[in-house]
Amino acid sequence: MRITNNMIINNMISNIGRNLARLETYQRKMATGKKISVPSDDPVVAARALKLRTDVSMINQYKTNVEDAMSWLEITESSLANVGEILQRARELAVQGSSDTATAEDTKKIADEIEQLKVQLIQIANATYAGRYIFSGFKTDTKLLDDDGNFLIDVSNSESIMYEIGISDKINVNVVGCQLFNDGTDATAGDPAKLIQNMNDFINALVIGDKNLISDCLTKFDKDINNLLAIRSSVGARYNRLELTKDRLENDLLNFTALMSENEDVDQAENIMLLKNEENVYKASLSAGASIMQTSLIDFLR
Amino acid sequence: MRSSFFGFNVAISGLYTAQRNLDVINNNITNVNTPGYSRQQTVQKASRPMSMYNGTGMVGTGSEVIGVKRVRDEYLDSMYWSENMNFGEWETKKALLSDLEVTFNEPSDSGFNKIMDEFFNSLQELAKDPSSEAIRALVKERGVTLARYFNDLATRLENLQVDVNDRIETTVARINSIGAQIQQLNRQIYTMELDGNTANELRDQRTLLIDELSKLINIDVSEVVVGTLPNGQIDSRLVITISGKAFIDHYSFSELTVVQRETKLNEEDVPNLYDVVWKDGNTLKIKGGVLKGYLDVRDGNAGENGSPLYNGIPNYIKKLNQFVQTFAMAFNEGYIDLDNNGLIDPSEDGRGHVDGYGAGATASSGIRFFTMLGEDYKSMSGDDFINGATDIPDIVARYSKITAKNFAVSSDILEDFNKIATSSTPGEAGNIENLSALIKFRINDQMFVEGAPEDFMKSVITTLGVNSQQAKRFSANKEIIVKQIENRRLSESGVSLDEEVSNMVKQQQAYSAAAQMINTMAEIYDILINRVGL
Repeated sequence: MRITNNMIINNMISNIGRNLARLETYQRKMATGKKISVPSDDPVVAARALKLRTDVSMINQYKTNVEDAMSWLEITESSLANVGEILQRARELAVQGSSDTATAEDTKKIADEIEQLKVQLIQIANATYAGRYIFSGFKTDTKLLDDDGNFLIDVSNSESIMYEIGISDKINVNVVGCQLFNDGTDATAGDPAKLIQNMNDFINALVIGDKNLISDCLTKFDKDINNLLAIRSSVGARYNRLELTKDRLENDLLNFTALMSENEDVDQAENIMLLKNEENVYKASLSAGASIMQTSLIDFLR
Repeated sequence: MRSSFFGFNVAISGLYTAQRNLDVINNNITNVNTPGYSRQQTVQKASRPMSMYNGTGMVGTGSEVIGVKRVRDEYLDSMYWSENMNFGEWETKKALLSDLEVTFNEPSDSGFNKIMDEFFNSLQELAKDPSSEAIRALVKERGVTLARYFNDLATRLENLQVDVNDRIETTVARINSIGAQIQQLNRQIYTMELDGNTANELRDQRTLLIDELSKLINIDVSEVVVGTLPNGQIDSRLVITISGKAFIDHYSFSELTVVQRETKLNEEDVPNLYDVVWKDGNTLKIKGGVLKGYLDVRDGNAGENGSPLYNGIPNYIKKLNQFVQTFAMAFNEGYIDLDNNGLIDPSEDGRGHVDGYGAGATASSGIRFFTMLGEDYKSMSGDDFINGATDIPDIVARYSKITAKNFAVSSDILEDFNKIATSSTPGEAGNIENLSALIKFRINDQMFVEGAPEDFMKSVITTLGVNSQQAKRFSANKEIIVKQIENRRLSESGVSLDEEVSNMVKQQQAYSAAAQMINTMAEIYDILINRVGL
């Protein structure tokens, strides 16, 4: 093949250009730390990158949801613990009051104490988490009970507040007031809460001094305590599930972040090697080009 | 009897021949870097010999240059033209699709996914505290960001379409200008070659212009033989056709022009785009070159309504429109086309934003979260948008009015974020049953044929990525092919300085030898005239 000057120069320019383009690719990867900068660099990596970003963002959101659910349940649990102590105390007082040795003076004192416990119970029923009434079902902006222990709102067992803690994975974070304060039956506004009613019955029995009625209250308290324990164990179980979910989400986050990095991040060690290699190729092509451009037959004529 | 000074004449012809050769070499050397120049060679032959009358044979009379020809392989030219057309098309597509990729800005930390993530994350936050005004305001703002993202993207795509349209006009103007120049050259070449010479330089110029033209549009070039000239030369004329119709026919030249379309080709198009036609009114089908690249990207809508079979700008705008229509309809009304038959059956009407209630005891249902910008570029209210439609098909028809460019959060929500419908029952502040249904749309893989919202956008981005990658590869391949042919042309027609310098030395020596010959002759005559017989 006949080789002409412009052929050599054109080839040299395009080869050097190609080397420089490759050098630029590695240089860009080095600077951005990413394998791709536009989808056409590798459409498959781009598609996976989009998917993984969404996954990571969702996991992060689920994680905050789990943490918020845990603090809601912690508040609920501490309220339930208080209710437990009150009921336990009421039961003890019922035992004292029902004994034959209790005088009228004693029952009067017991009645006073129970009155205080009742007020405490009503306060707990209106407990809040971040300004929301935790036992009011969906009506989180309204108190559950009035000062006399009557329901201010309709509350039904179906009013479970669900937090999303995974794809199609939800958890109930609230204990609906009627479960705890109305013995598990749906309540209507204006009705007295059964738990408070029991307290009132007890006070009445104490005031009358009827030992049989006081004994009846004892069984009622036992029943209430059992109900409470059932609710507490359910809350505890939910809390456990949240802890497990949190662990799992943290693992997921780690795995997905690793996957994301594997998918789109550059292996810097490898990249530096390739970059250096390309740099050498580029320099070599420059010096070869420079030397061939300078010589011609003219240099050797006389 | 030979002429006394015969020897001088032979030697002088040698001097002339060497000189003429040196002239051509000189010209070659000075044009070593002239684009399109083909090296020239002298056509040299021995002069007609003289017969001796006494029958002792023929005596040579020296040498002469009878012509200067250019070294050119015309087969390589036609190969170059057809490959250059493909290169032009794919190089254009490559550049435009890269622009599109930059417009979409994916994958990044500020693209579609991020915006969608943030919108749904704000809904998640609201689900945990539906009565919080701060979070309601956040949801509203994130909704606005989502809508603006689509408005911005659609506007940028439209701007790109307008830009490509302008470039089409410029390209057509360039094609016409080249045509006029070729027409001019045809005239000059034909006149100059009537006497049998070759108009080397002018032909080179013409080939260079055709090189440029071949990149812009699909052309067929031929030199048609129409007969013989009185002097016996072949009478050939240059004809360049575009898709079968003559663009240049010897001295005549038929211009192209652009006319504004009266009806849009694709409904997504910006109005008044140009059609490229013949100036005499005939339609033109463009099959290759830069112009085809522009047209495919500007009009390509996967072959719909007679548009080019390519995923061009209208196709991406259509996808975005389809996304906002389907997404807004699902989010507002809860309509999801589960069986993909294109119709919403009553059984496909799930829970949507209209089915829920906002905050406050007096909240009502029937509020739509997304609507569109009205004619005054203000967000429409849900009622204005739906325009009294109550039947499912009528409501669905209203959504076909939403485009990516006019997608907006409804004025109801903008004016009062308490209308964000979280609850399934009025007056229940903590009820998030409706909101949960809305949140589920994010992972609803039946919303689109492609799957969930993000899957749909992922498929759009992947399509763009694959097309752009294809354009890059084709462009690179075609470039290599064009360069190879160009190299072969340079190998054939390019000036080699080494070669020219060797020839220069060769001719210089021939010249000195001829001059020496004159010296010798002079000495011979010196002896004959000055010393003999006197």
